[in-house]
Amino acid sequence: MQQSIMEEKTGTAPKTTEKKKPAKSAVSSRRFWQITSKSKAGKMDNLSGYLFISPWLIGLLFLTAGPLLFSLYVSFTDYNITSQMNFVGLDNYKRMFTMDDLFWTSLWNTLYFVLFSIPLTTAGAVFIAVLLNQKIKGMKFFRTIYYLPAVLSGVAVYFLWMQMLSPSTGLVNTVLGWVGIEGPSWLFDPAWTKPALIFMKLWSVGGGMLLYLARLQSISTALYEAADLDGANSIHKFFYITLPMITPIIFFDVITSTIYAFQIFQEAYVMTENGDGGPGNSLLFYNLHMWKNAFEMFDMGYASSMAWFLFVFIMILTVFNLKIGKKWVYYEGGDNK
Amino acid sequence: MIKAESDLKFHQTKSFQERTKKTITLAFLLLGSILLLMPLWWMISTSLKSPEEIMQHPPTFIPESFRFSNYIEAWQTGPFARWGLNTLFIAIVTTIGSVLVNSYVAYGFAKIHFKGRNTLFVIVLATMLIPSFVTLVPQYMLFSKLGWVNTYLPLIIPAFAGSAFYIFLLRQFMMTIPDEYIEAARMDGASHLRIWWHIMLPLTKPALITVALFSFNAAWNDLLSPLLYLNDENLYTLQLGLQTFKGSVQVQWHYLMSMSVMILLPTVILFFFFQRYFMEGTNVSSGTKG
Amino acid sequence: MKRNVKLSFILLLAFSLLLSACSGGGKKEANATTKDGKVIIDFWSFWGSETRRPVIEKIVDDFNKSQDEIEVKHTFVPWGDIWTKNLAAVAAGNPADVIVNDLASVAHRADNQQAEDLSKLISKDLQSNLYPHLWEPVLYKDKPYAVPFTSDTRVLFYNKEAFKEAGLDPEKPPTTWAELEEYAKKLDVKKGKKYDRIGFYPLWGSFGAGSWMSNADGGKGFIEDGKLAVNTPKKAEALEWVQGWNKRIGDKNVQAFEAEFSSGQTNPFVTEKVAMWIDIAGFYTQIRDSGKEMEIGVAPIPEQETGSGHWNEGGGFALEIPKGSKHPKEAAKFIEYMASEQAQKYWALKNYDNVANVKAAESAATEMKDIEKTVYDQALANLKDTKLHTVPLEYPDYKTRLDPQLEAAIIGKMSAKEALEKAEKDIEELKK
Repeated sequence: MQQSIMEEKTGTAPKTTEKKKPAKSAVSSRRFWQITSKSKAGKMDNLSGYLFISPWLIGLLFLTAGPLLFSLYVSFTDYNITSQMNFVGLDNYKRMFTMDDLFWTSLWNTLYFVLFSIPLTTAGAVFIAVLLNQKIKGMKFFRTIYYLPAVLSGVAVYFLWMQMLSPSTGLVNTVLGWVGIEGPSWLFDPAWTKPALIFMKLWSVGGGMLLYLARLQSISTALYEAADLDGANSIHKFFYITLPMITPIIFFDVITSTIYAFQIFQEAYVMTENGDGGPGNSLLFYNLHMWKNAFEMFDMGYASSMAWFLFVFIMILTVFNLKIGKKWVYYEGGDNK
Repeated sequence: MIKAESDLKFHQTKSFQERTKKTITLAFLLLGSILLLMPLWWMISTSLKSPEEIMQHPPTFIPESFRFSNYIEAWQTGPFARWGLNTLFIAIVTTIGSVLVNSYVAYGFAKIHFKGRNTLFVIVLATMLIPSFVTLVPQYMLFSKLGWVNTYLPLIIPAFAGSAFYIFLLRQFMMTIPDEYIEAARMDGASHLRIWWHIMLPLTKPALITVALFSFNAAWNDLLSPLLYLNDENLYTLQLGLQTFKGSVQVQWHYLMSMSVMILLPTVILFFFFQRYFMEGTNVSSGTKG
Repeated sequence: MKRNVKLSFILLLAFSLLLSACSGGGKKEANATTKDGKVIIDFWSFWGSETRRPVIEKIVDDFNKSQDEIEVKHTFVPWGDIWTKNLAAVAAGNPADVIVNDLASVAHRADNQQAEDLSKLISKDLQSNLYPHLWEPVLYKDKPYAVPFTSDTRVLFYNKEAFKEAGLDPEKPPTTWAELEEYAKKLDVKKGKKYDRIGFYPLWGSFGAGSWMSNADGGKGFIEDGKLAVNTPKKAEALEWVQGWNKRIGDKNVQAFEAEFSSGQTNPFVTEKVAMWIDIAGFYTQIRDSGKEMEIGVAPIPEQETGSGHWNEGGGFALEIPKGSKHPKEAAKFIEYMASEQAQKYWALKNYDNVANVKAAESAATEMKDIEKTVYDQALANLKDTKLHTVPLEYPDYKTRLDPQLEAAIIGKMSAKEALEKAEKDIEELKK
């Protein structure tokens, strides 16, 4: 038994993937998540079923759905948690779009971060995964090293980077100095604060690498051998075999990490003085701005409307991603519409 | 590595190419490793320097003298032992909760047939797409009205409500276990709860360890919830303590770095101990996600 | 099936047990008394530094020993978090009993029902012991909602050695903006394009762009008597003047210095990287504690032009009882002690703040000597030019509208006039 699980884990897709289900609710079901279940249902057992999923169901009601709806309501009020809760209609939204400069600043900062960090980390992860997929002695050791930074996180890591990015005494500018580049002031120069954070994110690129590596290991060697016979070089092989084969993972990775990147907060909170959003508000990310409105000014109504805007924005983006994904994601053995 | 045996020359150039390719790869990997490990070396080295040496320009790579006393002094600047125990408590409770609850729920989704199962599972997946900040504000209002502020409840309870990603991961893993096992046990009159506890848990151990590691790591490194919910210094976690420590005095890098080393150490140790699971655990999900 | 239900029930029970176990920790302390029946008062302050923490803890200790009914427990909550957490705790109905809060916004909190009315809790004659200009801000609808503890004012510190080096008279500090600039240029030490020492930079220390603008504008704040005074000619002039410094020294150099002293252990004035520095009198403790033999001088804030006035900006802190405190009576007793001559004098002697108690402030001055007396006397003298700009009820968050524009102007993204126009318009929209 154990044996068979191990086999599953080393990469070959589990049985579930072979099952076909009419792809009507298209993307979210089979292609993307592979949620198909065995159709030859045994006896229905509703009570047990709901008993088992009850913790999640309760959580869904009280920690997700309930709060979501409540915050939708709050977003139309001036709730300040201590004294008032009056219905104000669309005032919060109006204020957001027309009066709050920092809202646009924070949205721009966040988009900037997402637009640069996602392609860079994705490309980096793929590149490293390809390197680590070669059959060379000591590869296990390298994999460990490349993955290590991904497990390190939290305040300690941010402090480390603050020290390393210190303009005159930090490691980064010292190393840049060796190759004759005069490094910028990083976290103190409004133009360089976001690149500094993106740079920091690249350090833990190993987290995504693992996903790709698993997929690469499952690509049949026969494909490459056939290409060898045709005299294809490594670059050809990468673009015509490897890349198409890993597009589903890229797709998954881009979607989830985009959502995640939109929520950047802790880095900016810890790495700027008093969590104020850095020089010239250059690190005032969307969530930081929301946080300040919610928990520093207790303007819960406004913060809730910001939260809902983000929610809708990300939903649209995800749907867009899913739609566009159909065009470039290659599914092995599937009808690629 | 089947090669065109008929053509010897071709074979030779091929293997020559292979070798140079390997060498280049190796060089790349080595360079990358050095780049990736340098920050860690820098952290350790800074943690052992004197404050004057840290401010030195250009900086030194190996401390002039190893000041291990930095560690002891940093430890004594705040109630770090207390904070460490607090963090450990929270991390252990949430880990246990997370492992049990998520596998319990996953079993429901994987092995019990009930009405609306597939719809509900799609909802599980959909919740993964909700940014956590959207529910943060209302959750905060809820917890504060319940009087949970300045307690560990807001940090712990959500772990007991299951997490979409872990449910997904464990459910996919459980799907690979043949239904015949369960059916046989059902025949013998075992309840689902017994099957889950006696059969499923032992069989899914590798995935459970993955979930445990992930949730321990998440709880250990969490800043947001403690920052939001904890007021009393005695209840602080290490992350929160470290963050306050930076603000309360002029920045003292030698102390900050030695504290950072100490706080990261448990994660690194866990990583090396369980790296097989760390590495393979995500494979479980990736294999199925693809 | 029965078994299933039973086991689930047990799990549920275990879960709720855990729930109650976890919630116990935080809550118990709020209501409890000590073993010998004393009422425990939870007191929050942000005084956690090596200099201030021992002082406040000594005062708390003295109070605890002075009577046998109340036991004050001091909780340090970091600056930046403390007032946020206080509001959260008020909202949750579980606040501290006494908190150190911002003097300028007492009325605002009273208006939002976040602080207790103290008129029936504290004795009537307390007011007569305290400076009237500090009593005024704690009133809301003629009732006190806090008791002032300390106030502060800014002092220009300068490095006498550096003055001598630069050929300036160490006994003649700059008195006008023009002189300040002229001296600063002489005090600069440049190495190529980079600075080894910067004579002065107006935004370092604790006198911000807003303070300079008020200094130029006859001490007027951004909102005076409910009317906006953001976009005034004098304020624009002052903002342009600040921009000028930034341009002259250069973004890069300013950033490099900021980077360095945010990661350094000591203040750049103390390490002699900056020759003139404006800060509160308590800044002197940093010089004292550095153990360096520094010859320093102190002066009023320079005026824009001769005769325009050495307008200074002050702040202060008050003791408040958050709304919903379980022991307001006992809390008020502690607050009265904190405002007493004994406690206030001790605070003044140790931290050089301008304490609220008149007698304490005066007798502290007589007990000091040498340089500490010079600094303290200068601070007392500066009080007459010091304005405390309270946060107006109609514009509680005006700073959130003002600061982004000021910042944009300082880094040169827009002109001073544009920034102020925009800020005034933005603040106008905010009016309640």
